[in-house]
Amino acid sequence: MKSLRGRLLLGSVLWTMGMVVTTNFVILGLMLHRFPGPVVHFGAMSIAAVGFLIVGIFHLRSVLAPFERLGKQLGAIRRGSSPRVEGPFPTEVAPVVADLNALLDHRAQLVDRAIARSGDLAHGLKTPLAVLGQEAERLSASGQHEPAAIIGQQVERMRRQIDYHLAHARAAASGSTLGATCSVLESAQGIARTLSRLHAEKGVQVEVSVSPDHCVRAQREDLDEMLGNLLDNACKWTKSRVTIGSVEDTSGTLILVEDDGPGIQPEMRERVLQRGVRADEAGPGSGFGLAIVADLAELYQGSISLDASPLGGVRARLRLPSCVTHQR
Amino acid sequence: MRVLVVEDEPSLSRQLETALGEAGYVVDCANDGEKADFMGQTEGYDAIVLDLGLPKIDGLTLLRRWRDQGLSVPVVVLTARGAWHEKVQGIDGGADDYVSKPFRMEELLARLRALIRRSGGQARPEMRCGGISLDPRSARVTKDGAPIKLTGHEFLVLSYLMHQRERVVSQSELTEHIYAQNYDRDSNTVEVFIARLRRKLGAGAIETVRGLGYRMGDAA
Repeated sequence: MKSLRGRLLLGSVLWTMGMVVTTNFVILGLMLHRFPGPVVHFGAMSIAAVGFLIVGIFHLRSVLAPFERLGKQLGAIRRGSSPRVEGPFPTEVAPVVADLNALLDHRAQLVDRAIARSGDLAHGLKTPLAVLGQEAERLSASGQHEPAAIIGQQVERMRRQIDYHLAHARAAASGSTLGATCSVLESAQGIARTLSRLHAEKGVQVEVSVSPDHCVRAQREDLDEMLGNLLDNACKWTKSRVTIGSVEDTSGTLILVEDDGPGIQPEMRERVLQRGVRADEAGPGSGFGLAIVADLAELYQGSISLDASPLGGVRARLRLPSCVTHQR
Repeated sequence: MRVLVVEDEPSLSRQLETALGEAGYVVDCANDGEKADFMGQTEGYDAIVLDLGLPKIDGLTLLRRWRDQGLSVPVVVLTARGAWHEKVQGIDGGADDYVSKPFRMEELLARLRALIRRSGGQARPEMRCGGISLDPRSARVTKDGAPIKLTGHEFLVLSYLMHQRERVVSQSELTEHIYAQNYDRDSNTVEVFIARLRRKLGAGAIETVRGLGYRMGDAA
């Protein structure tokens, strides 16, 4: 039965019938007590009465079930494990669900458009910045070092601000609210392929040992950004070996990026990851990428920490919620 | 060494042209995807610097098209799109290197130099052939340790031959790689440069392979 009205009607009829039979039974019982006479089938009547009452109650309860289901699905959307409300609903609720889905779609579109716009803005600014940067280099070459240095510094600050806020805006807008999942191996292989080209002069190859089953709850673009920054950093510092591996346990997926470079002092580990540090104030070059990783990890309810690798350099431990454990 | 710069922002294109020219490259410029496609396929370049956000044909589409058609010239992508997933796309699309804007000219030049060298099969930055050594980083040439002064075109000819190592290079190929597209080419001038190089580096430095062209000699 698809309609709430029908269900309510049936439930009430059953309930009323149960009540009528019960009332008759009580009245008849009292009458028989005073005037014993005709034989009434008490057993059959009481069973029928109780049966009607129970079925009536269950039916009325089932009327409310769709609302409970709707509530659960909304919770799932809010947590990010589902993008829309799915499944059949009674005719009175279905239009509300349809409107709700339309609203969610509209919101997703707005977010996409906002991301595209912020991307356009960032890209639109970078080419003029490149031009300014080159002019600064020319000024410097012609002996005007002071203005050249100032322009150069400001260009670099602006670039960092743009990169930082672009990565952040994209993740904050889309990543944590949509039910996105992605394979760690696919992302790691893509980044490894790219880095083998970007660091071709150094001849670095990233050793990927990630299980094909490991999957995390994050947008592919954001996982790429996190692994890209971590692995690029490792490739910059390494002497010869960079590895990426992963472990899955009950609390999520742990991704380990290691190198055999000079390592990092324990007191610096916290600093390079510092979140909330303004982009232009975060340490030199490499540390800035790590601040983006820390921010993205936090947005996905994950975490990042650094310690010493058995290889001799830095080991980055990136923890992210995995697809499997979340669905428990 | 001849380089195609594909960039639609005129100021940046001009800056790249100047900087690459100063670094000893012959530079052609294209400001949209269609022109770049035509030039990339019809002219012989030793490297291409490619912007991705281009009018008419998008840079990534262009790159994939070139690779599908078997064009193997080294390509450095120079773009404002600096996110990692975009870098992966660029490299998977066939780019050999990826530099995001804003960039340092020194870094771009270093990457370009390394790319051209590797594409010629040279593993070390400095190129040697017998007693002659050429360092593309400083555009310096020495013979048996003594510096040799070369003019711009002489350097271009020697540099191209040394990048090709044992391969024989025809006169027309050499002409194509040492002059920009709009330059009035005269293949006889190549003979003049070769003759001058032989005078400076020794007669055996460059061999003439009859009917085919030139290559670096063993007796240099």
